[in-house]
Amino acid sequence: MNGWTGKVLRIDLSEKRHVIEDLDEDLARDYLGGRGLATKILYDEIDPKIDAFNPDNKLIVASGPLTGTGAIAACRAVVVSKSPLGNIGCANVGGNLGSEIKYAGYDLIIFEGKASEPTYLVIEDEKIEYLSAEALWGKDCYETDDILRRKIGDPWKAKEYSIACIGPVGEKGTNIASVIIDKHNAAARGGMGSVMGSKNLKAVVVKGTKGVRVADREAFIKAATEVLEHVKQSHASVESFPKFGSPSVVHIYNEVGMLGTRNFQTGVFEQAEEIGGEALAKKHLRKIRACLTCLQSCGGILKATDPRFMVTSERPEFETVWVFGADCGNSNSSAILKAHDLCNQYGMDTIGVGNTIAMCMEMFEKGFLKEKDIGFSLKFGDPEAMVRLVEMTGKQEGFGKEVIKGGYHVSHKYNHPELFVGAKKLEAPAYDPRVCQAQGLNLATAARGACHNKGYTMGSEIFGLPSLGGKTDPFVTEGKAQLTKNIQDATCVFDDTGTCLFLILGLWATEIHKQLLPATGVDYSFDEMITCGERTWMIERMFNIKAGLTGKDDNLSPRMLKEPMPEGPGKGRVNRLHEMLPEYYKVRGWDENGVPTEAKLKELGMRW
Amino acid sequence: MVRKEIRIDIEKCTGCRHCELFCSLKHSEEGVVNPKLSRIRIYSDFDQEISLPIISGPYTDAKCTSRYNIIMGEKEYESCLLCRAACPIRPFFFEPGTEVPLKCDLCGEPPDPSCVKWCVHGALKLVEVEVEEGEESA
Repeated sequence: MNGWTGKVLRIDLSEKRHVIEDLDEDLARDYLGGRGLATKILYDEIDPKIDAFNPDNKLIVASGPLTGTGAIAACRAVVVSKSPLGNIGCANVGGNLGSEIKYAGYDLIIFEGKASEPTYLVIEDEKIEYLSAEALWGKDCYETDDILRRKIGDPWKAKEYSIACIGPVGEKGTNIASVIIDKHNAAARGGMGSVMGSKNLKAVVVKGTKGVRVADREAFIKAATEVLEHVKQSHASVESFPKFGSPSVVHIYNEVGMLGTRNFQTGVFEQAEEIGGEALAKKHLRKIRACLTCLQSCGGILKATDPRFMVTSERPEFETVWVFGADCGNSNSSAILKAHDLCNQYGMDTIGVGNTIAMCMEMFEKGFLKEKDIGFSLKFGDPEAMVRLVEMTGKQEGFGKEVIKGGYHVSHKYNHPELFVGAKKLEAPAYDPRVCQAQGLNLATAARGACHNKGYTMGSEIFGLPSLGGKTDPFVTEGKAQLTKNIQDATCVFDDTGTCLFLILGLWATEIHKQLLPATGVDYSFDEMITCGERTWMIERMFNIKAGLTGKDDNLSPRMLKEPMPEGPGKGRVNRLHEMLPEYYKVRGWDENGVPTEAKLKELGMRW
Repeated sequence: MVRKEIRIDIEKCTGCRHCELFCSLKHSEEGVVNPKLSRIRIYSDFDQEISLPIISGPYTDAKCTSRYNIIMGEKEYESCLLCRAACPIRPFFFEPGTEVPLKCDLCGEPPDPSCVKWCVHGALKLVEVEVEEGEESA
């Protein structure tokens, strides 16, 4: 095979044994790879009802056919498993892991069973070593990465490896545990780190020396070059993102009044300018960094300036800047860097931690949480309290032990479930759906929970990207069901092929399609490729239904549905999910309860 | 007389390594992308705040017996970090198995380096340099 390696590595952690299998080419053809393929394999091989920490659960790390080929921004991999939240967990990550797995000769790695004691794996092409992680258990992700690279010995050689590890948070079976790759990239959401921890798997160290083959070298170079030229036309991809990172969009969302502020009590943050990409760059930026094969360079090295929060941190992502900024009412950018760095260090999801803390701030200010519960005062706009609680969460001390269980848990424990902003128990990201109707539909229907990256409808409703259907009115619900489905399906293609979705302002599914034939040798029509995306969405839905979720779980928080936005361009509005959902079910080919119909499944060549 | 060279501006390198992938692909008849076989390697280190493109040059069968530091701007670099040699103490610029050294050939004559074509942020540029008679080739 080309593009794909054609091999799957299956590891039995209980027996410390592994097998290298052939990739099922029919499955690969139907689901492309990455998110779709991993979910389909999981669906076939486990009972979706089982507990996430049951050793019979499987953890799959999957690259896509374009990952590591040199296709533009195609470095991504996904981590897929049954989530501790009760649904399908799927965390997407950049950096070097995806490509290293491909170069080692694998499209995906399936981790099964549970090691009898803390273990880490070293994978060098076909050579797999099972090593004791007793000395690493309890250590954070930075220490773990340092120690494992020192073990490799030579610092040059150490750079050839990619290291995926969990921190103490993942070891203890908590909801917001991430898998951290090479210190600065995160497979952050849905508790995938906890699943790894439940298998006693502390780290996976990968090096590949085989490379990956493309079907037609000259055609591939030509296609990738054309796509590169296309992306270079985008101001965002060549100017704003390299200079200011993804936080370059802070001011855009603030201007349209949908930047979730103080636990989404409003959509406008009066101090947004102090936390935006330009401010961060001006105050803190030392150097710009990029993921493998990406010109957009969202990454960077940032140095804090406030002596209370001294740290040199990776450039935080927009969501991180939003969550520790506007959502917590905080304008101190050094504190944002510190909070971000702590999350990478301890291996936790920034959105999960920050959103939960923001909710706790509201609960504290309203008297629902007392100082005796938290241990100190926790108000909006208090950077010291915010950072202190982030650290306690990483260390799982005091009230941090509650925060790490996520906002859904805390809201219920302290009797105010209505204050949790999220969907399917996953904490919501920055975008207030009272202002962007379609985004509400997306957040409510994405299989892993409230996730903007499963359907970035803002691409149409705010940015008016021609590739996404042009500009639509964010305030109307008409036509949004079809729009959302189209964007969701195309997004699956990004995640299936291993292309980074953040390039959305520079390229879309058409550009991925251009590179797909010369890389893989498979002549997908554009529609066939999108259908792979549709199957990906469908198989996630089927997994969730078998796991016990229903149409009732396609929902948003009461605040989004009932509390009118108090200010800004979206003033007075709520999200009218109920107007969009029935039509959405229709266009998806689901019945009135949101269950895929036999007819639709047959059309896609799928079955229960 | 003029000679073409690749000029490296290390401040502009983002560490994307696109150059590595396309160098390896360009030199692979079989169409294999393998940055570990690239004739350009990027040494990136977060803590040192550097991203150094190193282009393969001369071959040596033994490491240097002395070390020294190079000062560029405000930073100091250990000599090995900037060295272009295919040297036994580093795991690159050699073909695994045969241990044949891999050397940059500017992608042929006339020079048309793939790495320069793929460097979007301008860290690598093909420039013309004046040289003395007899020093035309690198």
